[in-house]
Amino acid sequence: MRLIIRDDAELASSYVADYIIDRIKHFNPTAAHPFVLGLPTGSSPMGVYKTLVQRYKAGLISFENVVTFNMDEYVGLPRDHPESYHSFMWKHFFAHVNVKPHNVHILDGNAANLEAECVRYEEKIKAAGGIDLFLGGIGEDGHIAFNEPGSSLASRTRVKTLAYDTILANSRFFDNDVSKVPRMALTVGVQTVLEAREVVVIILGARKALALQKCVEQGVNHMWTLSSLQLHPHPMIVVDEDATLELQVKTVKYFKSIELVARAQGFEQILPSTIRTGQASIPKTVVEEIAPSSPTIISSPTILQPQPVTSRLLRASPATEYPVRSVSPDLDLVPDRMADRVGVPDITRRLTPNPEPSLLHRSGSSADLVPDRMAERVKGIPDITRRLTPNPEQQQQRVASVGA
Amino acid sequence: MPHSLPPSPKASPKEGANGITKFTNCRILKGDQLVEEDLWVNSVTGKIVRSQAAFFDDSILPDETINLGGRILSPGLIECQLNGAFGFNFSSLLEPAEYAKKVRYVNKQMVGTGVTSYVPTITSQTSELYKRTLPFLGPSGHVQMAEDGAESLGAHCEGPFLSPTKNGIHNVDVLRQAQSFDDLVDCYGIENLTAEYPDESPRIKMITAAPELGQMTNLIPELTSRGIIYSIGHSESTYEEASAAVAAGASMITHLFNAMRPLHHRNPGIFGVLGIAESQPRPYFGIISDGEHLHPTTIKIAFNAHPEGFILVTDAMHLVGLPDGTYQWTNGDCTSHIVKKGPKLILEGSDRIAGSSITLIECVNNFLNWTGASIPQALKAVTSTPAAMLGCQGLKGCLDDGADADLVVLSEAQNGNRTELVVDETWKFGSKVFSR
Repeated sequence: MRLIIRDDAELASSYVADYIIDRIKHFNPTAAHPFVLGLPTGSSPMGVYKTLVQRYKAGLISFENVVTFNMDEYVGLPRDHPESYHSFMWKHFFAHVNVKPHNVHILDGNAANLEAECVRYEEKIKAAGGIDLFLGGIGEDGHIAFNEPGSSLASRTRVKTLAYDTILANSRFFDNDVSKVPRMALTVGVQTVLEAREVVVIILGARKALALQKCVEQGVNHMWTLSSLQLHPHPMIVVDEDATLELQVKTVKYFKSIELVARAQGFEQILPSTIRTGQASIPKTVVEEIAPSSPTIISSPTILQPQPVTSRLLRASPATEYPVRSVSPDLDLVPDRMADRVGVPDITRRLTPNPEPSLLHRSGSSADLVPDRMAERVKGIPDITRRLTPNPEQQQQRVASVGA
Repeated sequence: MPHSLPPSPKASPKEGANGITKFTNCRILKGDQLVEEDLWVNSVTGKIVRSQAAFFDDSILPDETINLGGRILSPGLIECQLNGAFGFNFSSLLEPAEYAKKVRYVNKQMVGTGVTSYVPTITSQTSELYKRTLPFLGPSGHVQMAEDGAESLGAHCEGPFLSPTKNGIHNVDVLRQAQSFDDLVDCYGIENLTAEYPDESPRIKMITAAPELGQMTNLIPELTSRGIIYSIGHSESTYEEASAAVAAGASMITHLFNAMRPLHHRNPGIFGVLGIAESQPRPYFGIISDGEHLHPTTIKIAFNAHPEGFILVTDAMHLVGLPDGTYQWTNGDCTSHIVKKGPKLILEGSDRIAGSSITLIECVNNFLNWTGASIPQALKAVTSTPAAMLGCQGLKGCLDDGADADLVVLSEAQNGNRTELVVDETWKFGSKVFSR
C-alpha cells in the first residue's frame, strides 16, 4: 500500500488529480482502447474534480476517450434532484469537461428492476474491459462506496440499505431532515472495487482519522470496508495531515519515507507495465524495440523505472498480473493425520522410564534438581540467639507511659 | 404584428447538428448574483436547455461552445415603455403596409441596444389611431423567429384616460374619461381588449390611466380579468385614491414621480402606495434614469422604498439615436416640434420634457453609478422585475431551464470613474442576432 500524505486538503486533491491525469496520459487512450475510470461522489473528491476541470480547461488533459463508471446512486431519488449523484457528477465534472455522454455510466436508482440494473452494471464494467483506476472516498465509518460496515468483502453491485450514521451524515444535504434522506442506494461492491486494476482513495479531514487508522493499521475487517484495500495489489491512499491524527507517528514516518525514497528514484506507484498502458499497447512496445533508445517510452518519470523486482518477475510470467486471490495448490486430497506427522510412539517404552534413578543419575552431571535452600544462599547464618528487638518489654513500657 | 403575416421557418440546424450552443467561462445572472456557470441554449426550440437532462437522456453535446472570457451573460433586456425608436413613432398614422414595415425595422434595430422584448407604447390619441395601429403592436413572440429581432410583449396604451392637469406633453384635446367599460371599448376597440385565443394575451398588455377620473377605479377588475395590466399614471390621485386603485388591482405605476403629485408629507400621493403595509400588494413602478426626469437621489429613494418593484424604463421617443436638432412631431392630428439637445427632448416653445432619447442600457449604467447598486440589482430592474410585472416570469427575463433563450453578453468598461456595461452580443431564441 502507498499512503501519500500532503499538508492540506487542496494539495492532497491536486496530487490525486495530477496522478490521474498522468495515468491517463501515459495510457494514451483511444476510442478503441479507452481508459476506464471509476468515480466517487461526496465532499472528499470535490477538490479532485475541481483540479481535473482546471487542467482540462488549461488544455492539459482530454477526457474524450475516458469511460467512467460511478460508484453509487440513491434509490428512488429523482435523477435530476439537486442531491442525486447524477446531478453531482454533472455539476462538478461532466458539464465542464469533454467526457462523451455515451461513455458515462451511473447506476439508475429509479430502474424498475433494481437487481437487474445491478447485474447489468457489472456486465457493462466487464464489457469495458474492467476498471483501470477506481477513485474512491470513504465515510467516517470507513465505508467505501455505500458498502456500509458489515458489508461482505466479496460483495458486488447491489441494492444496499444505508447505515443510520450515513443517513445522519447525509441529512445535511437534505435540509437537515433525516426523513428526506433516501433509505437505500445502489452501489458497487467491495469486490467490484478490488477488481479494478488500481485503486486510489482520497481521505480528508480529522473526522476521517479514525477510519484511516482502522483501515491502515488494523486488520481486514468488514466493519471498516476500506480495510479490504489491504488485499489489493496496487492501492494508494492520499490524505491530508488532519486525516493522520489517529495514526502512529511510526506509520506516518514510514509512509513518508517510502515516498521520499521513491521520489528520489523517480517513480510514484509501482505498477506493472500492462496496467500502465493497458493490454492493447503491448505489441507496440515490441515494435519499438528495434529502435535502440526510444525516449518517448520512458518520458514520464512515473513509469517503469526503476524496475521493481516484483514487476520484473511478473512480466516474466505470461499472466503478467498479480492474482487477485492466492491460488490454492491444485492437489487432490491427500490422507493426512496429525498422528502420522508425530511418528508412532513406542508404547512399550515408558515415557518416564525410571524417574528416581534417572534423577539420581543426572544429579551429578546436570544442574537440574540440586538440593537448594534459600537459607543456604543468604551469606552467613543469622545468629538466632540474638534477638532482633532487644528489649521488647522495655519498649512497650515506654509507649504506655507516653499514652498516659 | 397581425397573425396574418406569413411565418418564416424556425432556425434549422445543419445536417447532424442539434442547434445547441454552450456558453462557458461566463458569469450568468441568477437572482441577486452573478454565478460562474455554463448555459446551454437551443436554437431549434428557442429555449434554454436543461443541460443535465440533455446529457443523460439524449446523449447530447453542444454543437458549439462559446467561451465568453468571463463576461456577463444576462437575460435580454425588457423595455416597458418605448414610444418609438430609430425615427419611427408608434403613435403615427400610416398606411398599414408602411406601418408594419416600420415596426419590423424597429424590431430588428432594437436588438442592437440589448433589448430583446419590449412593450410598444402609444400616447394619448384619438380612437382611430388606436384601432389602426394596435393590430401591429400585439404580442409577436409566438412565431419565435430570431431574425425578426426584438419581440413585442403587447402594446401599452398610455392614455387617453388621463388627467388634463398632468398631461405632460400629451394632447389635452384627446383626453377623456370613462364611466363604463363601453367607453374603453369605444376608445380602443373590443378586438384589442380581448385575447384571440384563451391562452393568449390581448394586443393591449397595459393601460395607463388616472384612477380618480370617472369610474376608472371600478373598471380595473374588468381590465385585469382580461389579462391587461392597469398602471396608475398622469394622475392627480391622492394617496387614498391611489390605494383604492391598488386594492382594485392596479399593479404598476407609470414613470413614478413624473406627471403626478409630488410626495407631500401630509399626503404622500401615488408614491405613498410604495409604503403600504407588507400584507398589501405593492405595485411595480417605472423609473426614468436619464438624468433629466429625476434626480439621482430620488431614484435611490424609490429603489430603497421597494426594490422588488423597481423597473427601469426609457420612455424613449422615436428620436433616440438621431442627431441633435429640431424635429417635427405629429401628435395625432396636431403637429408640433421637439428640440433634441444631447439626451434632452424639450417641446419647442416650452420647458416641458418630451420623453427621453436614452437607451435602456444607458439607464442601467446611470442607475449603477448614481446609486451604488450591484450589477445584478441593476440588471434585475430591466429583466426579471419587468417580466414579473408583465406576468411572463419563468419565460422572459431569466436564465432558468425552459425559459426563452433571449440573452445579452455584456462587458464592463471603465469610463473615468464610471463603470459601464456595454452590449457586446444579443441572442434571440438561441441564435445570435447582434454582435458589436
